[in-house]
Amino acid sequence: MKLPTGVHFDNYEADHAWWKTRFVWIRMVLLLFVLLWVIPQFVGDYWLSFLNMVGYTILGAAGVQLLIGYTGLITLGHAAPIGFGAFACALSMYLFNIPYLLSFLIGMIAAGLLSLLFGLPCVRVKGFYLIMTTMAMQFITVDVILTQFLGPLAGKGRGGVLAIEPGMFSIGPWVIYSVKDAYIWMIIICIIVQVFMANLMRTRVGRAWMAIRDNDIAAEALGVNIVYYKLLAFFIAGALGGVAGCYWLTNLSIVSPEHFMFPWSLWLVGVILIGGVGSLYGHIFGAIFMTGVLEVVKLVLVPLADIIPGTMEKFLYIKDLVFGLAIILFLIFEPNGISYRWWQIKNYIHLWPFSY
Amino acid sequence: MVHFTEIVITGLLVGGIYAAIALGWAIIFKTSGVINLATGELTMIGGYTCFALYSFGLPFIAALLGMLVIAILVGILTERLWLRPMIGEPVLSVIMVTVGISFAYKAIVALIWGADTRVFSPPVFPLEPLMLGPIHISQVFLYSFLVAGIMMAVLIYFFQRTRTGLAMQATADDEMAARSMGIPASSVYRWTWIIAFMSCGIAGALLGNINGLNISISYLGLLVLPAVVIGGMNSIPGAVAGGLIIGVLENLGDAYISPFFPGGVKTTFPFLVMLIIMLWKPYGFWGWIKIERM
Repeated sequence: MKLPTGVHFDNYEADHAWWKTRFVWIRMVLLLFVLLWVIPQFVGDYWLSFLNMVGYTILGAAGVQLLIGYTGLITLGHAAPIGFGAFACALSMYLFNIPYLLSFLIGMIAAGLLSLLFGLPCVRVKGFYLIMTTMAMQFITVDVILTQFLGPLAGKGRGGVLAIEPGMFSIGPWVIYSVKDAYIWMIIICIIVQVFMANLMRTRVGRAWMAIRDNDIAAEALGVNIVYYKLLAFFIAGALGGVAGCYWLTNLSIVSPEHFMFPWSLWLVGVILIGGVGSLYGHIFGAIFMTGVLEVVKLVLVPLADIIPGTMEKFLYIKDLVFGLAIILFLIFEPNGISYRWWQIKNYIHLWPFSY
Repeated sequence: MVHFTEIVITGLLVGGIYAAIALGWAIIFKTSGVINLATGELTMIGGYTCFALYSFGLPFIAALLGMLVIAILVGILTERLWLRPMIGEPVLSVIMVTVGISFAYKAIVALIWGADTRVFSPPVFPLEPLMLGPIHISQVFLYSFLVAGIMMAVLIYFFQRTRTGLAMQATADDEMAARSMGIPASSVYRWTWIIAFMSCGIAGALLGNINGLNISISYLGLLVLPAVVIGGMNSIPGAVAGGLIIGVLENLGDAYISPFFPGGVKTTFPFLVMLIIMLWKPYGFWGWIKIERM
C-alpha cells in the first residue's frame, strides 16, 4: 500500500481504513456526488437506462467474481440464480402481495438456496465436473423450472412472462417508477454490494476462500473446512445473483426466462475475464466496457442501416461477433484484464515523475 | 414393444452422430486438455459448408469431401490463431477462448447464411422408411449411422496404425515424455483440431440431412458434454459409447417422460441423467480416476 510521505497512523482502525487520506476522501465523496446527483440531473433517459444496464451487469457479475475470482469455483450457469431470484421476487409480489423490500429479500434467499443446492456436488467433484454441474443448473432451472413451472403460475401469458405493475415497487414512501428512480436504486444497491464484498474479503471467510482458490488441498491441511466454505461461496454468490435478478425486475417490471439463457451466463464470465479476475473492480470495469462496446456497435450500425439495408436484422449476430472477438483478443493480449491496466496507470500517476 | 424397439434403434442411430461429435470433443480434451465449448460451432460450420457445396450442384459425396478440405483449413487456422497463444494459460482462460470462438463463429455463419432453416434439396437419402418386420427405420438415420461409423473406424485406424496417430496418443498419455522423445507438440495440437473439425463437420452434414440446418444446431455442442461425462472424459471409446447412450436416452425421455411435462424434457433429460451419474460415478464409466497429491 502506497501512502504519501508523512502520513502515519496511531491506531489499527485508521491503518485498516479504506480511505486513508483526506485527498482520497474528497475524491470518493466527489464521485458519490457525481453518481447520485450530477448524473441523474443532467443525463437523458436513454443514457440513464444504458447505465442501468451497466449496473445490472455489475450486480450479476459480482457473484461470478466471488465464485471464480475469489473461490476458484468456475461457474457457467450464474444466470440461473439471477433468474430464479427475479422470479421468486416477482411471484411473491404478484401472488401474495408481499411488500417490495420483503420480496427482494425472498428473491435473494431463494436464489442463494438454489445455488447452494446445485453447489452440493462440489463436495465430491471439482474442475471440469463442477463446470458441468453449473451448466446443468442453468438448463434445469431456466429451461424447465422457470419456463414450465414458475412462469405459468401467474396464470397468463405464454412462455412464462411475468409482468408487475410499475407502481408496486415502493420502499416506504419512495416509489421506484421512472428510469431515474431505477438508476438511483441501482447505485445504492451497487454500493452496498461493493462494500459488502470488499469487507467480506478482509474477514476469515474471504481469506479462507482465497486459500481454497490458491490451493485447496493445502487449505484443507491447514484447517480450512473446504466443504463449508465452498458451499458458503455458492450461497452468497447465489444471493448476489438474486439481488441482480430483483433489480432487473425493478428496472423492467417484467421478467421472462428468455432473459436468463445460457449466453447470458457466458457473458457474465466474459465480463469478469475482460475486467480482471480476482479484482474488486474487475466486474465494474468489465461491465462498463462490454455494455459500452455494444452501445458503440449500435451507434455505428444505426446510421449504416440507411446505407446498407438489412444491417439491423443482423445486429444480434454482429453483437455476438464483437463479444466473441473481444473475449479472445483480451485473453490473448491482456490476460490480466482492464483492472490490471488501471492499477498500472494509477501507479504511474502516483509515482510520477520518479517511477522507480 | 415394437414402439419401444423403434425408439431404441432410432436413438442408437442418432447416437452414432452424437458419438462422432463426442469423439471430436474427446480427442481435443485428451491430447491438449482444452475443454472445448465450441464443438457445436464446428458441427455447424461443417454442416453449412457441405450444404453450400451441395446446393452448388456437387454430388453429396463430393460435397462431403470438399467440406473435409475446408474443415482442415479452418482447423489449422483456429488452432494457430486462437489456441496456440493459450498454451500454458489457466483452464478458465482456455475455456473462455473457446466460448469466444463459439460466439464469433456462430455469428459469422449466421451472417453468411442467415437464420432460416436450410434443407438439403433434393434430399440426399431416400425418404421411404425401411421395414424390418414390424419395425420402421428411417433410411436417413441408417445411412447417417453408417457414414459416422465408417468415419470413426477410419479414425481408430489412424490412431492405432499411423505415425501421427501414435504421436497423438503419446502426447495424450504424457506430454512431457512425448516432447522429450522428439514429438512436436504443436503439430499434434494442429492435428487434433483438424480431426475434431472433420469429425464434427461430418456429423453436422448428416444432421443437416435429418432435421435441416439452422443456428440451433450449435446446441449439440452442449449435448455432447453429458456424453463425454458419462463415458469418461479421457476415453475415446467411452466418448463413442456415451454418444450412443445419450442418443437412446434422449429418445426414451422424449417418448416416455415428455408427455408429463408441459414443454417436454428432450433437451434437459440427458443433463439430468448426467447429474445423477456424476454423483454416483464422478469419473464416468471409462474415465481415468485422478488421485491428487501434494
